[in-house]
Amino acid sequence: MGKIRIRFRVNGQDAELAVDPMATLLEVLRRQLGLTGTKKGCDAGDCGACTVIMDGKAILSCLTPAMQAAGREIITVEGLSCNGELHPLQKAFIECGAVQCGFCTPGMLLSAKALLDQNPNPTREEVRMAISGNLCRCTGYKKVIDAVMLASERIG
Amino acid sequence: MHVVGKRIERVDALKKVMGKALFADDLRFEGMLYAKVLRSPVSYAKIKKVDASLAKELKGVRAVLTARDIPGENRIGILGDPFRDQPVLADEKVRYIGDPIAIVAADSAKIAEEALNLIKVEYGELRPVFDPVEAMRQDAPRVHEKGNLASLRKIRRGDVKEGFARSDVIIEGTYKTPFQEHAYLEPEAGIGKVDENGDITVWACTQFPSNVKKEVAKVLGLSLSKVRVIQTVTGGGFGGKLDISVHCHIALLASKTGKPVKLVYTRPESIMASTKRHPFIVKYKTGATKDGKLLAVEAEIIGDTGAYASYGPAVLTRAAVHATGPYSVPNVKVDAYAVYTNNSICGAMRGFGVTQVAIAHEAQMDKLAERLGMDPIEIRLNNALDVGSRTATGQLLSHSVGIKETLQQAHKAASEWKQDISRTVPTGRRGIGVGAMWYGIGNTGHPNPASVFLDLQDDGSITVLSACAEIGQGLDTVLAQIAAEELGTNIKDVKVISGDTGVAPECRGSSASGQTYIAGNALRQAAIQARETLFQQVAADLKVKPEDLYLDNQAICVSGDSERRISVVEAIKRCRSLGILTLGSGWSNPDTTPLEPETGQGNPYVTYSFATHLAQVEVDAETGESRILKLAAFNDVGKAINPIGVEAQLEGGLSMGLGQALMEELLIEKGAIKTPTLAQYLIPTSLDMPEDMSVSIVEEAEPSGPFGAKGVGEPASIPTTPAILSAIYDAVGARVTKLPATSERVFQALRRRPY
Repeated sequence: MGKIRIRFRVNGQDAELAVDPMATLLEVLRRQLGLTGTKKGCDAGDCGACTVIMDGKAILSCLTPAMQAAGREIITVEGLSCNGELHPLQKAFIECGAVQCGFCTPGMLLSAKALLDQNPNPTREEVRMAISGNLCRCTGYKKVIDAVMLASERIG
Repeated sequence: MHVVGKRIERVDALKKVMGKALFADDLRFEGMLYAKVLRSPVSYAKIKKVDASLAKELKGVRAVLTARDIPGENRIGILGDPFRDQPVLADEKVRYIGDPIAIVAADSAKIAEEALNLIKVEYGELRPVFDPVEAMRQDAPRVHEKGNLASLRKIRRGDVKEGFARSDVIIEGTYKTPFQEHAYLEPEAGIGKVDENGDITVWACTQFPSNVKKEVAKVLGLSLSKVRVIQTVTGGGFGGKLDISVHCHIALLASKTGKPVKLVYTRPESIMASTKRHPFIVKYKTGATKDGKLLAVEAEIIGDTGAYASYGPAVLTRAAVHATGPYSVPNVKVDAYAVYTNNSICGAMRGFGVTQVAIAHEAQMDKLAERLGMDPIEIRLNNALDVGSRTATGQLLSHSVGIKETLQQAHKAASEWKQDISRTVPTGRRGIGVGAMWYGIGNTGHPNPASVFLDLQDDGSITVLSACAEIGQGLDTVLAQIAAEELGTNIKDVKVISGDTGVAPECRGSSASGQTYIAGNALRQAAIQARETLFQQVAADLKVKPEDLYLDNQAICVSGDSERRISVVEAIKRCRSLGILTLGSGWSNPDTTPLEPETGQGNPYVTYSFATHLAQVEVDAETGESRILKLAAFNDVGKAINPIGVEAQLEGGLSMGLGQALMEELLIEKGAIKTPTLAQYLIPTSLDMPEDMSVSIVEEAEPSGPFGAKGVGEPASIPTTPAILSAIYDAVGARVTKLPATSERVFQALRRRPY
């Protein structure tokens, strides 16, 4: 099958590339754009490690055909910091000890960002719900929720 | 202390939040090939013929290797002889579903996958055995020629017959635990590359770089100096990344093709090919006086180690040693069997056999307390180990025994919890449960040394080199803290390069909750060595004795003369001007004794960590569904080098312990895994964890540990599971003895209740 050219924005920059119509957004981000911060933990939509933001919503890039990204705005973990300044979530994750092995961290950060962009002052229960699709085997989630709440205070 | 004991941000957190941490699958080399593994679809068979000719002809395929193509030894096994029983590629037989038979390297993963379908294997199926009890019978099919009993560990202390004869109460129980999956978020991955000299470098996730180096060298028939293992950022391990996974396969393919070769497991492949937690059957008998004093414990433990030994005999040994729980028992008899079957391979998983026996000994203590009408925590306190106690292996505990302190703190918390008896659903019933444990730090009576190099440089900054593995537990940060503390520098001036066998000598794996204790001690020695070099020169210059010098705020000072001081940087410059380098190297191996084969007597560990956990649950008395409302951990870690890291380990441990209690069961039927994805093998999500989760660090300093530290990784999860099971019983009177306590099992147990 021939490749199809698509255009979309990734982390504020235009990207135009030829993609395999069967390719997932995850594969295109990691292989064609070299954005390896987005992780493949299961390739089946079960773990959340591949979470990115598409047009403001947290999505699973392993279940999203790359074609579907055409004309959309994608944010990956590499696009979180701005002009060398870390996003408040990134700072809070470091300060609160919300990072251990780090494999779930990019997806966790993006689920949290999608939440805070919609709801800058969430309750802990709302945070718990927002990250419920992101599996973490290291932290028990408490410090992750602490970090999102801290970032929310600072943003708000 | 200026760094140790402080809440320090992880040294690897920045790269991880930026998405810059490079895991093995994130690496890419020019001209890289992609590998796939052909695995056995049958659980037990002779391999009659492997025909790879069609696969080799497929365009884009660069190599297809089978057992015949292995230049060195076609056997691996993390315990070494006599347990090196696992083929890298199956030669005569396959022994479980997933046993690798052939490996392919191709221009793309897709082509490699296609090639697998073209390899023809003729199997001569053999009668398999899946039940470890059946496998122990004389007439059972033999998984290995030497028989199905991989090991038997015996512990004999006192006289159990007499102990039971003198007992007023005898409690018996049988407990069954399932296969469990580590479910680290990062599936196994790695890249192998060969250079012009034929030297191999393997970049891969692992918990044990030095073991990978040794195994790759043996399998490829190379000297150890020709193999370098660079551990990539590792996305969790929990014991499952101690054994060999991708490593030998990529090294073989890289060596054959001369090109870099990458292999990344899919999630189902990771679940199929990695080791599992041993399912245990524990038959347990406890004898006590009417005052609740333990007199005798007898336990028979059968662990299914699957097709190959992996860590099996060590897991069963540790289970046997810890079978009494953290209690003083004068008469003990334990038999622990590691048994081969045609199931998936079982090996190390956080808790290493203690997780399983703790479920049994804690249920026994609860039953005993109930029988005698005693408070469950008080009965534990009355029997808890203390300084001066002897363990079941006859070891005299002379220091750092924090079990009573953890029990007392838990007791206080539980009495406060008891006042809260509200419920969220009308059929909800609340209960509180307790779980206690002990855990020996480091390998059980076997050598497991760690080593470190240290360079204190011109500007006062420090580079630490080691082959020890950071797997997410926070080791690099702890090592940086220890170096900064010993040399009076800022932690920002310490760089830890870990997990690289090319820059540092052998190091034990990150396992047995021992890396802070053992690698920390090694680093301390290295730092002290560098400091002594510095002090000798300063002492000569100032015309004082080296022992009169001390470090304070990055300066070397003379005791009793606060005016005379020289900054560390000045002192280094002075040394350098004379051509003296301030270097250090250190290695450490815990001072233990092997267990006597017939009685299991000996000092298997230098020190033990202790813990008590509490759980409050609400069980729906109609459906059997349990909801965890509160969890609390009280862990004696000796000394928390980095309290924020210890808390993080404890909170993660609570979640793993909760998963084990309520949901985690890897279903294997006739050797086939029925739950090969994370949609089927469920681990706790954020919604499963209670908002009310507290962790308390108890510090009973260990004199032989770095700054008094012991360990925390496994003690973080072991007591949670029995605490939850105990809380379910407290709530509705249903004792679940076959794990996990799913709604169905609690419901069944409710129906079996006597009232």
